[in-house]
Amino acid sequence: MANAASGMAVHDDCKLRFMELKAKRSYRFILFKIEKQQVVVDKLGLPTESYDDFTASFPVDECRYAVYDFDYITDENCQKSKIFFIAWSPDTSKVRMKMVYASSKDRFKRELDGIQLELQATDPSEMSLDIVKERAF
Amino acid sequence: MYGGDEVSAIVIDLGSHTCKAGYAGEDAPKAVFPSVVGAMDQMEIDDPESTENNSGSGVDSKNNVRNLDSDKKKGKCKLYVGTQALGYRRDHMEILSPLKDGIVLDWDIVDSIWDHAFRECLLIETKEHPMLLAEPSSNTQQQRERTAELMFEKYKVPALFLAKNAVLTSFASGRATSLVVDSGGGSTTVAPVHDGYVLQKAVATSPIGGELLTDCLLKSLESKGLTIKPRYSFKRKEIRSGEFQTVDLDFPNTTESYKLYCQRIIASDIKECVCRAPDTPYDEKSYSNIPMTPYELPDGQTIEIGADRFKVPDVLFNPSLVQTIPGMESFADIAPSVRGLPQMVIESINKCDVDIRRELFSSILVNLLAVQSSMQQLKERLEKDLLEESPQTARVKVLASGNATERRFSVWIGGSILASLGSFQQMWFSKTEYEEHGASYIQRKCP
Repeated sequence: MANAASGMAVHDDCKLRFMELKAKRSYRFILFKIEKQQVVVDKLGLPTESYDDFTASFPVDECRYAVYDFDYITDENCQKSKIFFIAWSPDTSKVRMKMVYASSKDRFKRELDGIQLELQATDPSEMSLDIVKERAF
Repeated sequence: MYGGDEVSAIVIDLGSHTCKAGYAGEDAPKAVFPSVVGAMDQMEIDDPESTENNSGSGVDSKNNVRNLDSDKKKGKCKLYVGTQALGYRRDHMEILSPLKDGIVLDWDIVDSIWDHAFRECLLIETKEHPMLLAEPSSNTQQQRERTAELMFEKYKVPALFLAKNAVLTSFASGRATSLVVDSGGGSTTVAPVHDGYVLQKAVATSPIGGELLTDCLLKSLESKGLTIKPRYSFKRKEIRSGEFQTVDLDFPNTTESYKLYCQRIIASDIKECVCRAPDTPYDEKSYSNIPMTPYELPDGQTIEIGADRFKVPDVLFNPSLVQTIPGMESFADIAPSVRGLPQMVIESINKCDVDIRRELFSSILVNLLAVQSSMQQLKERLEKDLLEESPQTARVKVLASGNATERRFSVWIGGSILASLGSFQQMWFSKTEYEEHGASYIQRKCP
């Protein structure tokens, strides 16, 4: 347990949908939000949706958590995928919201078993496709 | 588990310069007052002249403090706490600070400060409110247990939480991972926070804070023959409209520490008004012809400040400058071990695991309250220096909150939000748990 953690609960649906993304690849991405003192699923992205669709799903002045299943081809021409966890906390969001999301992140991420990489972004440039690619390889 | 979220918690951030206290859930602390106290020997109190003027804010440590230290010498002192009580000059009153480098040295003084916050400022019954205290990253296990004992035994609080300064600042900016650079009154701390944990081994501290910079300015002005008269040492009256006369008053029994306390208040204001961080390292030659900036002292005397405007803030980046200021010789003893801000940042990051260095470089959170007015320039300067000295692959990003209140109270605000969350109520270290497991359980509850 991290120091000064919020103690926020996680709705079972979050874990369930995440398992579907991981095992069945039913979704490209999932957005989560905190509502009534627990983390719940906010939005599901279909496997056909692109990274741009994903980034466009984030509200500009509210925080979110998200997971994204990133497909890529390695230099050896090998098809691979990595699951990213993204903590979105735009500078324009309220301090209270930033505090709530940052202090609940560690606990929430532990609930999702199988995350390979993590990003924290406070503006869109910090989660651009280039950065995701750079981290994946 | 402590289940009462109907009574609001109290949040206290006792910094080396000011103590911030208030109700959880509010945007800013209700009470902000100096973290130093005025102390007078009980013997002096019996002197009829000074008893007359004892204001209500004085806390008699002999009667109120359950003396855990059983320090006999301190037990005979009367302590004056709060802006008002300190603003009144008293014969033989010494100014004492309970902290050194953010760590508590004198628990009686800390106790008197808490007491002042609860009883004089917030007017609360401590047994009714859970208490969230912000603590420095380097707080030892012993200090934390002592805090728990005092809070539960003396103040009978129903629940307690100790949150680390750096973690609160990081969270309040929306980041669970960041490098928090905090330059406060008494010191500068660089603390890496990863997923809400402070990486203790990589924390870097230096004694260069706002107070040292204020002293540099004060000494430098004195060396040029400019004396800053403390507010109590003169009377100023209007003899004709627009024309003032200053009459010096003589109080031979004023202590040196009180005189310095009063001079620092003025010098600190001069610093905030005129000092600017230079874009490039300060050097005597290129700044010798800099235009002078006037400043009017409380006694009506106008002084002119030139190169010091830039030299003083540059001390943060280049501590060896202190030794060039006459009267600051005492600093020479520690000078060789003190690093400038950019070096501290790089050293701290290099002590962290290779995997997270990149992320730390890209979220350096600065809170440089040492020269509040020049925050933006200090931030840009740090970013520039770091770009030159960091590895090529690192994306250096230095961030600062745009809002002055959020900057000044970032730690307190973080604590205020956390303690007011419904979900947090299960996280408190409760009185029952304290009674069952003892003070050492604080390590488990507030890691």
